[in-house]
Amino acid sequence: MALDLGMPILVVDDYQTMVRIIRNLLKQLGFEEVDDASDGTAALARLKNRKYGLVISDWNMEPMTGYELLRHVRADENLRTTPFIMVTAESKTENVIAAKKAGVNNYIVKPFNAATLKTKIEAVCGA
Amino acid sequence: MGGAINARMAAPAMPKAVGAATTKPAATSAKPSLIRELVDIADYITHVRNEIAALRANELTRDRLPMAHEELDSVVQATAGATNSIMTAAEEILSLPDDGNYRASVEARMNDIFEACTFQDITGQRIRKVVDALRQLETRLSRFATAVKARDEAGIDPAEMERRMRDELLILNGPQLKGPATPQDAIDALFD
Repeated sequence: MALDLGMPILVVDDYQTMVRIIRNLLKQLGFEEVDDASDGTAALARLKNRKYGLVISDWNMEPMTGYELLRHVRADENLRTTPFIMVTAESKTENVIAAKKAGVNNYIVKPFNAATLKTKIEAVCGA
Repeated sequence: MGGAINARMAAPAMPKAVGAATTKPAATSAKPSLIRELVDIADYITHVRNEIAALRANELTRDRLPMAHEELDSVVQATAGATNSIMTAAEEILSLPDDGNYRASVEARMNDIFEACTFQDITGQRIRKVVDALRQLETRLSRFATAVKARDEAGIDPAEMERRMRDELLILNGPQLKGPATPQDAIDALFD
């Protein structure tokens, strides 16, 4: 299945620079519909207003972390199937395992490169 | 501290004061002891006052700590500004038309990137100033703690306790000092 380049993607990160980097990388990959949110609470509000094909989220944010966002998304009947990739500096095995148990589709450790992001998106969104 | 001093004064003085009401020899032996005790306390207070003065707390709170805040704020602003300039140049390069001016346009943006990278020298100097200030603070606090034989209050600071509980609950470990704790390859293996 080819990647749907028209699908909206939600990038969640409290650092605008990181949002900008991911946005540019996604643009390079051909994705044009990219929204962003600065934490889990803002992301949930966006997710309830628009159907996203993918969420790319940081872990460490306030007030709501990416881990809490993931759990909210998986607990919500309307959002639970939304593909979710964690992009974070949280690299301990306990973090990865907790995210996997909570239902994350893939996990990228910062710093990362464009190729890694592309591979994970393809793996999650079925290219 | 006041309680400790009072305890030191009261403990030896009380039995002798009781004895003083009944027998005269006990009263005369109590006086030099009490005086010695008071002299010790006065010496201790002088010592602590000298150590507090050596802390130069006013200088720390008036000059050094605000300086450290300002320097670190400047570092944050400089790195953000440089990142912004570099990303803007990169975005402009990516959207350049493929025409005869392409090379000249790329070279102009590359110069912008080189200029933006000069932040590193200045931020390095700023961070060194902050490190020096922190080192001085550490030295003075360490000397003071040793001089007054300070012991930490039992238990953990409530704000710190709250922070630790949040970190534990939400598994917030933060970035590791020497790169990722788990390499990307090992993480990938968990998702294959």
